[in-house]
Amino acid sequence: MAWVSRLLACTIGVSITGVGAIGCDAAEPTETARAGVGPSPLRRMSNGEYLNALHDLFPEVSPVLPALPNDTVVAGFENAAEAQQPSDLRIARYETIANLYAAAMTRDTASVKAVVGCDDWSTPDLAEGCASKLIERMGRRLFRRPIPLEERGRYAQRFQGWRAAIDFEAAVRLTLSAMLQAPSFLYRPEPWRSATNGASSSTSSSSNSSTRVEPYAMASRLSFFLWESVPDEALLDAAAKDELATELQVRSQAERMLADGRARRTLWSFHRQWLGLGRILDEEHTFRTPQIDPRWSPTTPVSATTESRLFVENVLAPKGTLRDLLTSRRAWVDADMARIYGVAPPTNTGGFAEVLLPEGQRAGLLTRVAFLAGLSHRGGTSPPIRGNGIELRLLCRLPLSPPPGADLSMPTAGPSDGPKTTRALFELRTAPGKCQSCHAGLNGLGFGFEHYDAAGAFRTQENGLPVDAHGALFGTDVDREFDGALELSGALARSEVVGRCAATQWLRYATGRAPQDVEEPLLEALTTRFRASDGDVRALMLAIVTSDTFRLRSPETR
Amino acid sequence: MSMSMSMKIRRRQLLKALGLGALSGLAVQGSEERARADVVTPPARIVFFVTPHGLVPNSWTMPIPNGASDRFAERELAGLREEELSTVLRPLHSFRDRILPIEGISHTSALADIAELARTGGDLNNHSVGVAHLLTGTRALQRPGSPCSGGARSLDQELALRTGAPGRFGSRVYGFDYVPNATVAPFSFLGPGQATPIVADPKAAYADLMGYYVPVAKGEPRDREALIAAMRPSVLGAVGREYELLAPTLDEDGRKKLEEHRRLVRELEASLGAGPQASCDPSFDQTGHEVTQLMRLVKLAFACDLTRVVTVVAPVPQCPELGYPAEATMHGYAHQSIAGATSCGTTFDPVAERAMTDLGVWYAKHFATLLRELDSVQEGTGTLLDRTLVVWLTELGTPTHAHHDGFTLLAGAQDFFKLGRYVRYPRTLSNPIPDYPRIGPGHNRLYVSLLQAMGQSDVTFGMTAARGADGSEISLRGPLTELHRG
Repeated sequence: MAWVSRLLACTIGVSITGVGAIGCDAAEPTETARAGVGPSPLRRMSNGEYLNALHDLFPEVSPVLPALPNDTVVAGFENAAEAQQPSDLRIARYETIANLYAAAMTRDTASVKAVVGCDDWSTPDLAEGCASKLIERMGRRLFRRPIPLEERGRYAQRFQGWRAAIDFEAAVRLTLSAMLQAPSFLYRPEPWRSATNGASSSTSSSSNSSTRVEPYAMASRLSFFLWESVPDEALLDAAAKDELATELQVRSQAERMLADGRARRTLWSFHRQWLGLGRILDEEHTFRTPQIDPRWSPTTPVSATTESRLFVENVLAPKGTLRDLLTSRRAWVDADMARIYGVAPPTNTGGFAEVLLPEGQRAGLLTRVAFLAGLSHRGGTSPPIRGNGIELRLLCRLPLSPPPGADLSMPTAGPSDGPKTTRALFELRTAPGKCQSCHAGLNGLGFGFEHYDAAGAFRTQENGLPVDAHGALFGTDVDREFDGALELSGALARSEVVGRCAATQWLRYATGRAPQDVEEPLLEALTTRFRASDGDVRALMLAIVTSDTFRLRSPETR
Repeated sequence: MSMSMSMKIRRRQLLKALGLGALSGLAVQGSEERARADVVTPPARIVFFVTPHGLVPNSWTMPIPNGASDRFAERELAGLREEELSTVLRPLHSFRDRILPIEGISHTSALADIAELARTGGDLNNHSVGVAHLLTGTRALQRPGSPCSGGARSLDQELALRTGAPGRFGSRVYGFDYVPNATVAPFSFLGPGQATPIVADPKAAYADLMGYYVPVAKGEPRDREALIAAMRPSVLGAVGREYELLAPTLDEDGRKKLEEHRRLVRELEASLGAGPQASCDPSFDQTGHEVTQLMRLVKLAFACDLTRVVTVVAPVPQCPELGYPAEATMHGYAHQSIAGATSCGTTFDPVAERAMTDLGVWYAKHFATLLRELDSVQEGTGTLLDRTLVVWLTELGTPTHAHHDGFTLLAGAQDFFKLGRYVRYPRTLSNPIPDYPRIGPGHNRLYVSLLQAMGQSDVTFGMTAARGADGSEISLRGPLTELHRG
């Protein structure tokens, strides 16, 4: 992928998977490149994974938690291993949250019994046995692996100390707190072992240098990718039986997991991050008022986010495709969204109901409020920002920066200019030759969305003038002139460049790092499969989890 | 509404708190005596006040009668009436003898980076680069698909590492929360591309400060909850041990992460019960503007010696807060605020100039609040402000995204800096970007002065040299001695 990107970069700009400098020489693949297994940096749970894990581990309680410091976002994603340096604030928050959960889980004797799995700790011997049971049970769930004797001994010793100082129930609480702050919970350390057994034949070309991921680590890889959370008992059982070794075994587990409701989290989380659908929640948009955008209300940003989430989850969860995401008119709307889309509001107050959006006006995520309004200024659209959204997110191309001093504000018509469309104002603003080198492409994409105002409502006129939404798509396999976002969405849905971009970003999300040169063959294969499956997102996820890079560890990261 | 937490201060803590004075040598000296002292006493603390978007030059610069443009010039502020100060400086009139506005500082490392990026490619968005460079002064980290980011540990975090101690946070970073899609934050970095967490909610920030507090009821029966709370260090000790045991089994990258995590767990463990200190009022007034609340927390943190480094990143207010229309944005005004600053189609709008000036005044009022808060706490024979270096910076030289002539203002720390002056550096150096205005000394050199003021011996910070467009070398080494007391 990287050399393809560099070739593209020669003519287009800088690829999202390439590195800063633009080079046009494709290097010979190395031995490692043929192996196709990228590095496996130590990963900490992202904030989303951490909160999901707590929810799944302790569904019976929901203490009020302090906010975690934001994850540092890299290329749109919140789970980048390279940006997970700990800070004093994060460590303090982890401690507070661990204490809150530990307290909630031991709030009374009945709760303690449930968490320990023991009814009677009235004698020292019984107490010791119960402590051992707690450590073993909780260790397995929290650390996602059996807890070795030595480690168990350490926790048991601490437990006894706390019991002696206070009482049994306090010791349970303190032990839980310690485990919730332990590296084996917060991080995903992966022991490695020789691939002498269980490695599938497909790894034979690389088995000399890469080793199969240890079964419990594989269980975590699967669960954090497919559920954004910890493994369940079935997955841990499979690991215990070494049944996550072959492609078939991994596929079987992954299919089970994708059918589980928890997979909806990943589908939404990935697309939210990939397509920047959370931008609508930024202060710039939450501050909009009806005076600025007549169809806007204080709840619109949250409604728009929920609408996008329900669309992604419902369209993809059964067996949806990227094409569906970009072309489907199905929508789940509340009164807020119904007002903007011009459809009947749901009858259930405050709820969301499925509707079919007006034909000829809407088609897929790019014509929904979260995308359209999130990539607008309040009170006015910005074709370059929307065009940049397509370039960056769907084509995986990092457009060149504006020149120093470029005016990035909203252009406005002068008092004597008469009414102007946004398109006309931006055409004038970006007319100089030095602007056109980038804006020919950005505007070409962004003008296609001019049928949607800053709130995402459909319009045929602006300031009394007809809207012109003709645009042009350059530098792809589906280059064309088009009229409006529906035609553009249709073209993008058929594009191999978009498919490759999706595969690249899914791989980034799954591995917590940018795809490497050595993974070029994998990306080629993923793209081919993705195309062959007509953009089946679940098939792509399955292809990733059964790939060498997901199932093996390269020698560099032992 | 006001919330407060009553505290019992142990004698050991009281002595330790007083020890702050002894440590820094201010316990018995009056300000006049200090001014006469042969040995300069370093300030005990530093606070960075970072305001986004730059300032319109004619809103804050001042003429210097008979000041030559080709050499360093200065003007005494002490005798000036309020209306004789520039518009932005007027809210600081009552502190005019304790501030040091500096004209002519260039964000030279940012200019050099942009010049290089124009050749090599990468994110050279002026705003992103300005943010990445403001507190790091070094080449930005380029990550494809992301705005560029700080390329090294920022100055505040460098000082945090050097001044943190058990019971005392290395630093606190408050203010405008990190919004992933925005380019105006973050400014503070733990390391390359690693944003320092920032706390926007004053109430959460107060809870953080109090996080080190372990209530002790000596001689009284402890209830069960108190006993459990008293086990926090013990739990953290166990946690730290787990990190210690696991780290060596990982590769270098993983080991480093866990070792850093372990260090911070140990730090938290050692800190419990060690603070906050006496001589402070551990209460929090949750009234007024959120920025004002954060300023009070800075005072609290310093008074209780809970940290010696704070960075406050001011928010960009919504336009109606300053009397401008809701549909406008400060960012929009910024681009149109300077006559003659043209780029792709930009147009000057006097309303935008006024809006950005009002924004500067709004920030100045908050800065004055910070100075007042620090000046309200007696420390020895002076106040906290006397021993605190207060630094006001902005990431852009002008709201139109230039990087030369950055607004810079120092306050407090009167032992080290010669305050009560408006000073101007000449713009005699070649700009790294061809055809751009000539520039004054780089902000890296200002940071050397700040480090030395804080008792450090550094002679460089970040980039050490840049090259002007005319091929000349621009040294970024050494302090700006013109700012120091003789």
